[in-house]
Amino acid sequence: MGALSIRNVVKRYGSVTILKSINLEVRDGEFVILVGPSGCGKSTLLNMIAGLDTVSEGEIAIGGRVVNNLPPKDRDIAMVFQSYALYPTMNVRENILFGLRIRKATAQEMEGALARVAKTLQMEHLLDRKPSQLSGGQRQRVAMGRALARDPALFLFDEPLSNLDAKLRVDMRTEIKLLHDRVKTTIVYVTHDQIEAMTLGDRIVVMKEGEVRQVGTPQEVYDDPADLFVAGFIGSPSMNFIRCTVESRNGRLGVSLHDGAGTFFVPAPPSITGLGERAGKEVILGIRPEQITDKDPYAGANPHSIEQSARIEVVQPTGPDTLVLIRLNGTPVTCRVHPGASPKASQTMGLSFDLSKLVFFDPQTEKRIR
Amino acid sequence: MAEFARAESAGGRAFGRLIVYGLLVLVAIYYLMPLFVMLTTSVKSLEEIRAGNLVALPTSITFDAWSKAWGTACTGADCSGLKGNFWASMSFVLPAVVISTLIGAFNGYVLTLWRFKGSDILFTTMLVGCFIPFQVVLLPMAQTLGWLGLANTTPGLVFVHVVYGLAFTTLFFRNFYVSVPEEMVKAARIDGAGFFTIFWRIILPLSPPIIVVCVIWQFTQIWNDFLFGVVFSGGERQPITVALNNLVNTSTGVKEYNVDMAAAIIAALPTLFVYVVAGKYFVRGLTAGSVKG
Repeated sequence: MGALSIRNVVKRYGSVTILKSINLEVRDGEFVILVGPSGCGKSTLLNMIAGLDTVSEGEIAIGGRVVNNLPPKDRDIAMVFQSYALYPTMNVRENILFGLRIRKATAQEMEGALARVAKTLQMEHLLDRKPSQLSGGQRQRVAMGRALARDPALFLFDEPLSNLDAKLRVDMRTEIKLLHDRVKTTIVYVTHDQIEAMTLGDRIVVMKEGEVRQVGTPQEVYDDPADLFVAGFIGSPSMNFIRCTVESRNGRLGVSLHDGAGTFFVPAPPSITGLGERAGKEVILGIRPEQITDKDPYAGANPHSIEQSARIEVVQPTGPDTLVLIRLNGTPVTCRVHPGASPKASQTMGLSFDLSKLVFFDPQTEKRIR
Repeated sequence: MAEFARAESAGGRAFGRLIVYGLLVLVAIYYLMPLFVMLTTSVKSLEEIRAGNLVALPTSITFDAWSKAWGTACTGADCSGLKGNFWASMSFVLPAVVISTLIGAFNGYVLTLWRFKGSDILFTTMLVGCFIPFQVVLLPMAQTLGWLGLANTTPGLVFVHVVYGLAFTTLFFRNFYVSVPEEMVKAARIDGAGFFTIFWRIILPLSPPIIVVCVIWQFTQIWNDFLFGVVFSGGERQPITVALNNLVNTSTGVKEYNVDMAAAIIAALPTLFVYVVAGKYFVRGLTAGSVKG
């Protein structure tokens, strides 16, 4: 009932195309995140699903019913906004029940909905307050309560946590996830924060410049990015990109890296067959910070890793890990090492490179080389 | 450097205060003097006015001039005081204020929260209305009222003031509603509320501060207006400003300064009343939206 289909949807403003043929299938009960930098069209897409914006081309269906020409109120959706958008002159109770009242629900229905929502979000004690008397987190909870009251087929969230401070944001993230587990309603959630995307979503839709770049589970998108943009956008600190040339050594394809002191050969995983035809050509090597760590003296020999010393330029302790900047092929490269390794700037340190998850990109098309 | 500046300001602060307050008191006296003279003169007898000093306090207080101004003073040929004109003014000022405020609120709502192609141009065009002098529209307005069959009627005067006031009221409400988040309207649309429901149930309840500003402004403008009143109103239903003019300029008989003063104060009382009652909202309304509420 709460499935969402977006088929070849295009959005144009005059001659400017904001969304270029979007296709997306969301299963009933799924939690899908639309993520991308500002201006990528994710909020426009959400507004089109809500009916607040018109569709230039294509079809949007909610629960199998094409809704292109239905006004927002007839789409069986509810939406939570970044600015909360509570009605300031009404108290929490009236805010939550406004939608039901407009729809001429009976007093009994409204009472039931209010009890259910207040219990789900634990805000029985807030019902008589005005929005101005609530904290940011409480306002956001009321906004969710307003959405929950009508028990819609589809929830839309438009950057709901962006106005909250960092700590509250983490708490509300957990709360939204628990909420989804409880109500099992389909959720489409827009954010520009890749951590929110990773932690909340069943699936992530990464968008850029009006196009869907990749759709997948958080782990798929993280481990197996489709292109340079997705690889760089998902993950914090972001993936290191090193320009290098493909060469063949002892029958294995790989790339050479130099760290100022010397050059070393990095063999590519044999599964990447696309490198064969690029011998002698430039590619971009992608390696995540956690794949370059300090040597673990207790680990056995890992056939997928090589060890190499490098000079440390900058040290950034984060607490659980320490980020270390080295320079490879003239590019600063972030490595994530154990704080116990206590590296110091301008020292040389032995590092272990995990090569099993190396990725390569074409510098022209920015697509993955597989 | 900063140390020096602080030392200097600490020493000069008391002196600076003195100058500021001294100036304020002086200006206040300057502005209150005419009111003082009007009040004292209105309760003096004619003999005392002729004999005495303009700024002297009255020796005996009498309200004869007030009752004469209200009930029996002659404005031209008619000698029934200002009371008829007072209620005549009320009868067109109140509807004109209410209607122009409501339409202004509605215009502001549409121009900010339901923007359409050209809505900004339309708003700019309406703004031009703020800069058109009264005199310019007299003839075309007279013609329009003639076509509408409203010439020399109270509804006609209401119509003139509503049309002329719309530019201002729209400006007020538009600038107030600009600070209303558009998302609130989106939320209400998803909740199922329509165009008018959103206006009545959500936007208008937000608006008391700006409604107060608008009412004060419109009431003062329309009540004090002379030109439209003298041109577009019929003889007996003349507004109080016109009647006051006639009363003061009546050239027959003795010049009754006390009656003139009482009449002028009567004519000014309603606007004073509006300021006193709603004044505290006035400043609040003018700055509304500048602070996150």
